[in-house]
Amino acid sequence: MRDALLVAIGAVPGAWLRFRLVNHFEPLVPRKHWATFGVNITACFALGLIAALAGRCGPDQQIGLLLATGFLGSLSTFSTFAAELLQSWLSGQRREALWLMGGSVGAGLAAVAAGMVIGG
Amino acid sequence: MADQLEARRLSFELRELFLVGLGAVPGALLRWQSGVQLGPHLGGSAGADLLVNLVGSFILGFLAGPIPQRTSLVLLLGIGFCGCLTTFSSWMLDVAKLIHAGKPVWGLLLIAASLVLGLLCAAGGLALSRTLFRSQLD
Repeated sequence: MRDALLVAIGAVPGAWLRFRLVNHFEPLVPRKHWATFGVNITACFALGLIAALAGRCGPDQQIGLLLATGFLGSLSTFSTFAAELLQSWLSGQRREALWLMGGSVGAGLAAVAAGMVIGG
Repeated sequence: MADQLEARRLSFELRELFLVGLGAVPGALLRWQSGVQLGPHLGGSAGADLLVNLVGSFILGFLAGPIPQRTSLVLLLGIGFCGCLTTFSSWMLDVAKLIHAGKPVWGLLLIAASLVLGLLCAAGGLALSRTLFRSQLD
């Protein structure tokens, strides 16, 4: 019960932040999917950092549930990424879709690795 | 007059945040529990994360179609529920862990499977939604 509460307490601000950030950058970023990209990559970096710190300081299950499972898991999203990828592909922006796909995976892995290096 | 407008804008924003938060909690709890309960049967967190990501992509694809009550449902189920059910950062951490453990081929497979199946699920959800609500398109 307490664990569920920790996940939920982390999840709500994560979802709110993603919602407001993506909406905020919508007019500035020409295509909305690059705002989702930014949120996802930021979450990847933070998760890599937390994973490395947990490995070094000994895993704290409660901090993990609150920050990693709750907050960062909810801040980042796969479904919007997949839907926006599909949308840009179907609307004929094939090059944009390929950039988004390769860029997200490449930058996501690099961000996780950078977080792990800094945290480790 | 300006106060009234401001109050209306605020209540509109609160309603948006309420819907997103209301969907976020069950989404995150389901993702967490699928990792705890199904993870051991699906080869660890990578399998559980892939499963929730695919389910969420299908639902979001469905919501992208011509559904009724679109704005509210997208806030509640799309941005709230699916956004929290699925996760990008854990997927990337799963891949990084596989590479770190000396299994780069499995890491590449996880990337490829997530991308291909995720796109197929989103497309499947969209196709189903368009079939069900076709009459509203006309």
